[in-house]
Amino acid sequence: MRPEIREYNYDWMMAGTLNAAGALANGTKKETEMTWRYIPYFSGVARAFINAGPPGIAFLELGARYYQNILNAHRDGKKIAATTFCNTPSILYAMGVVPATFEVLTAIGALVWKRGMFDYMDYCCETGMPETSCSSQRGALGAVLAGLSEKIDFIVCDTPGVCDTNANAFAFASAYMDKPFYQLNYPSVLGDERSQKYHIDDYKEMIRFIEEQSGKKLDYDQLGTVLAEVDKQDALTADMEDMLMLTPTPVPPIYTIMIYAGRFCFSGHPEYTRLLEIMVDTTRKRAAAGVPGLSAGEEKLRVVMCYIDHYTVDMNFYHYFEERGIAHTGSILTRNFRDGNKYVADLPGTSYSIDTSSPDAMLDSIAQMNARMPMVRSIRGPYDKQGMWLEETLACAKLYQADCIIYNGTPGCRNTWGMLKPFARDLEKHGYPVHIMNDDGFDDRVESWDATRERLDEFFNVRGLL
Amino acid sequence: MDVFYEAATRVDCRPIMEWKNSGRPVVGYTCSYTPAEIFYAAGILPVRLRGIETDGMEVGDTYFGPFICSFPKCILQLAGKGKFSFLDGAIITPGCDGMRRLDECWRKAGEDYEGIVPDYFYYFDVPHKSENHGMDWYLEELRLLVKSIEDHFHVEITDEKLLNAIAVFNKGRRLLRELEDLRSKDDVVVSGTDAFAAAVAGTVMPREEYTRYLEGWLSDLKERKASFSDGKKRIMVVGSVSDEIDLFELIEARKTAVVVAENLCFGIRYEGNEIPETGDPMASLAAHYLGGSVCPRMFGKYKERLQMLKERILRSGADGLIMQNIRFCDLHGAENALFERDLEALGIPCLRVEREYGPHIDAGRMRLRIGAFLERLSVAGKPAGGVQRRTA
Repeated sequence: MRPEIREYNYDWMMAGTLNAAGALANGTKKETEMTWRYIPYFSGVARAFINAGPPGIAFLELGARYYQNILNAHRDGKKIAATTFCNTPSILYAMGVVPATFEVLTAIGALVWKRGMFDYMDYCCETGMPETSCSSQRGALGAVLAGLSEKIDFIVCDTPGVCDTNANAFAFASAYMDKPFYQLNYPSVLGDERSQKYHIDDYKEMIRFIEEQSGKKLDYDQLGTVLAEVDKQDALTADMEDMLMLTPTPVPPIYTIMIYAGRFCFSGHPEYTRLLEIMVDTTRKRAAAGVPGLSAGEEKLRVVMCYIDHYTVDMNFYHYFEERGIAHTGSILTRNFRDGNKYVADLPGTSYSIDTSSPDAMLDSIAQMNARMPMVRSIRGPYDKQGMWLEETLACAKLYQADCIIYNGTPGCRNTWGMLKPFARDLEKHGYPVHIMNDDGFDDRVESWDATRERLDEFFNVRGLL
Repeated sequence: MDVFYEAATRVDCRPIMEWKNSGRPVVGYTCSYTPAEIFYAAGILPVRLRGIETDGMEVGDTYFGPFICSFPKCILQLAGKGKFSFLDGAIITPGCDGMRRLDECWRKAGEDYEGIVPDYFYYFDVPHKSENHGMDWYLEELRLLVKSIEDHFHVEITDEKLLNAIAVFNKGRRLLRELEDLRSKDDVVVSGTDAFAAAVAGTVMPREEYTRYLEGWLSDLKERKASFSDGKKRIMVVGSVSDEIDLFELIEARKTAVVVAENLCFGIRYEGNEIPETGDPMASLAAHYLGGSVCPRMFGKYKERLQMLKERILRSGADGLIMQNIRFCDLHGAENALFERDLEALGIPCLRVEREYGPHIDAGRMRLRIGAFLERLSVAGKPAGGVQRRTA
């Protein structure tokens, strides 16, 4: 790692960056315009969020708060748990533990820095992790392993059975730093009685582990409060999802990242509810006024991202959607699979409900919700089995009236790359043009954004979509 | 030895084809977490699926993506080329993400290549934890597997048959343990290549025949006086799945090294402990196959595996470790790095190397790396970090 990188605490640096970005909106127009000059590599991100109005500014503030919580955790007598995006942090909030979600922290760094998270990713390789491991963990994990972040106290992940390379990153971190580790493990099926029971048994063990590590028993009143907040957030997210289905959608592409990044960082936390409320309110007004989500106005194409988005420097991916008039109708990350959502109607057993009437009901609710988080829900089993990735993607493509489907991931994603070609072929058989992006969503060195953009253009041109 | 070499280096080796030609079924399986005893009890020949004799990758690359380990790709390649036409069934296990997707890739390839998917094609869902509900899940998976085999092949798998199968397999385990003892002595009377070939052969040969040959070969070895270890460095091979005899030949070809142990998915790692021959056979099989946590797929068990490795190093008197991982095998790649850190700190020299499985396209590079490592051992002499040899 370059010596100058070692001079800065990563969490502190990112908190400062996001704080400053959020505060930009408080200046005069002239002051804000002047600022762009000083942040040439970050201006696209800052502009995008600030121009998005109150939701964008609230999101920047939320991001800054996330880092500040990590920075202040030990001072406030709280433990920090390293965790993964698909393990809901709501249980950690209910137990007074501060989450540090590696993938979100990596994505933010990748978005706002010219060199992205390269130095931190490479540091992981210096410690011995293969460079073929998923970049989404390697960014933030590199800062942790290099001692450039707040020290984590323990690790919980829920990807064994779903994503080896994700689980392996957390297991490696545990062994490398000698930190306590708990893995939630998911079977390859979903929705049957046996797997439902496994989810609960495993989740209870995880709670016991967190109690042991935090020194605090789970307070069911607190869990009830958190779940009630999740209930509100789910309803608001469902509103956003409904509005994504409108043609043209009044939801700007950038909102999709706000929906899921907020959920991965602050599920069950009132601050995320506030963000969603602002987003829903703003979007409803746009819909009522007939204002499309795309700033260019015309919605030329509707895309379903069947996996994740592209997060490298300056939000290029989202700007591209805006420039080309492409509506982003969500990805595997935006949908929450709450019962009652339209896309779960054809996918029996894949949804969850929230019941706070008793401790057992709450445990069941949160365990089943966690089992339906992005990725752990969709790619746990063979992709063409009931309720898995193919059915889910087709259901969403139909409901969101997609013109085509695009895959983006990372080369580290062994689980999707293991089946992606036949999966894409099956989607094509159902009439959807499919594009497989060959980049790394977190690392521009794998494929430059210029090349990625050219390939996207080529796909849209060759398939006669644009 | 010839019978072992033939079985270890040919996909359609004589023992499998003789069994098949006698009208009895053959079922392939992909992962060491699948109890072969169940198939034996059903009168089925269990054959560990392998990727040897692959001479191209056009089928494997068509269905798998580019960032996938070459081992499952080689298996798919052979399947697509009809090399597994002797199979009546196949069991796919989520040993790792690459291997688990053999399920879809093989089935989907079957839409393009007629007849390559065996009639019996089963997904065996092995959990990643062995405690409490993990063990319960696995036990239930075993019961479902048994029921499925019974239904498809019209056989009955009783507890008595399972206990008998366990006893037959245990006999082989004891013999392999004797082989390990011979390899651990100061004067090693068997090359690592021969020993590994014998171990790999056991994953495809009918068990009684295998045990008979192994018994005879061991008797010969015990009479042997010539030492393979004179003036040579004692090497242990660990890491990603390997059934490649030529990897061992590459190490021993320099005449300065002998492989005295391995900790690989093929090999003797799983054969060390016997399974109880009384009591509930399903529970015993579950405890043996899932309980060991010997593979990095069992996340969070690094310390147990490190301890096990240290014991094996001590027992075998290994001077150094060659740790290999197939490219895109993150599990072994990361764990090898941890092993290297912790073992080098104890004064045990380690070589960590990434490679490809299948046709030995990087044999030259591997030879160079291995040669450099052996030179390092020669210069360093015996480990100085306090590793004391334990007499076998």
